[in-house]
Amino acid sequence: MTINHHPDEEALAAFAAGTLDEPRSVVVAAHVAMCPHCRATIAAFEQLGGTLVERAVPAASRTGSLDQALARLDEAAPRATVSRQPEPDCPAVLAPYEVGRWRWIGPGVHWRGVEVPESDGTRVFMLKAAPGSSLPHHGHSGIEWTCVLQGAFRHDLGRYGPGDFDAADNTVDHTPVVEEGDVCICLVAMQGNLELRGWIGKLLQPFVRL
Amino acid sequence: MRHEAEAITPPKAASLVRAIATRRDREAFKDLFNFYAPRIKAMLMRGGAADEIAEDLAQETLIAVWRKADSYDPEKATVSAWIFTIARNLRIDRFRKDRRAQLHQVYELMLPAAEDPPDVPFEAVERESRVRAALQGLPEEQVRVVELSFFEGSAHGDIARKLGIPLGTVKSRLRLAMARLRDFLGESS
Repeated sequence: MTINHHPDEEALAAFAAGTLDEPRSVVVAAHVAMCPHCRATIAAFEQLGGTLVERAVPAASRTGSLDQALARLDEAAPRATVSRQPEPDCPAVLAPYEVGRWRWIGPGVHWRGVEVPESDGTRVFMLKAAPGSSLPHHGHSGIEWTCVLQGAFRHDLGRYGPGDFDAADNTVDHTPVVEEGDVCICLVAMQGNLELRGWIGKLLQPFVRL
Repeated sequence: MRHEAEAITPPKAASLVRAIATRRDREAFKDLFNFYAPRIKAMLMRGGAADEIAEDLAQETLIAVWRKADSYDPEKATVSAWIFTIARNLRIDRFRKDRRAQLHQVYELMLPAAEDPPDVPFEAVERESRVRAALQGLPEEQVRVVELSFFEGSAHGDIARKLGIPLGTVKSRLRLAMARLRDFLGESS
């Protein structure tokens, strides 16, 4: 698997630091799970975090902090939450989340919600599009981060196959076309609503609210 | 002001964790606690946590080190990087808006299985020395911008306001710092 499109460094740093919101983190994680290159970058940022911790000026501790910790060492560990098995067609990183049923939203295109808590108007869902179908020509009212899980699509900026990561924002207005061959399944974090263009889009808009 | 004198070297930290894993060594725990807890607390407070919460989370982090010591793999991460990720995950867990959310699990689920060999270009010790060398050569003003951006997740505009410097300066310092890290980590892409 050759991955050509990666999250930018800023996104990977924020993800490694734990400061990226949950919806976008989940999509970045789906990419990282498939991408050794980005795993190496994450490991480097985690080391940066560790090194910065070492260099930090220590904060004053509460009196008796160490004794309190020592007294707790023999407490039984809280039972680790067992993560669920992912649904079929879902990447492992989605195992902790409820995933909805596929719903038809247009010719050759299905959608299903992923119950990642919404953050700042950003929601997570999966899209499944038939080979050769084109996703509605659309713009964005906010960010749209996509990780391709299976199949491939193309738009003005190139070809996106399994593992590829695509970040679009409100400056992008495009029409992704799914390649012939395999069904294309993507994991998407989208802020705001998709703004569908053209008469089909106008027809779909009222009941899609993507 | 930096506290290099009290620093625990990476091999020393690894041997302390091993002492906990193999013989539940409380003295080793005390050494790790005394070094890391106040620094983790400082990091969490920099990230916006209140004193009490940062104190609790720092304590939880070190207790997790005690419990997870036998799963620590020195080839995959230095102790500092490992502890950083434990603190990060506990903080995410603490501040998540929805109790059902499980983002901290996602960080584990995305990794290859524990028994798989590390798939990153160098081992943890090598990575640590490269990151340290890169940071050592950076002017303090660049390190400050990296810290603010990294720990606090601050937007560039907020960093500029906080430090009283122009936005363009924030961006150029971050760019220089990142370029240097990339050089030292041998990633030219």
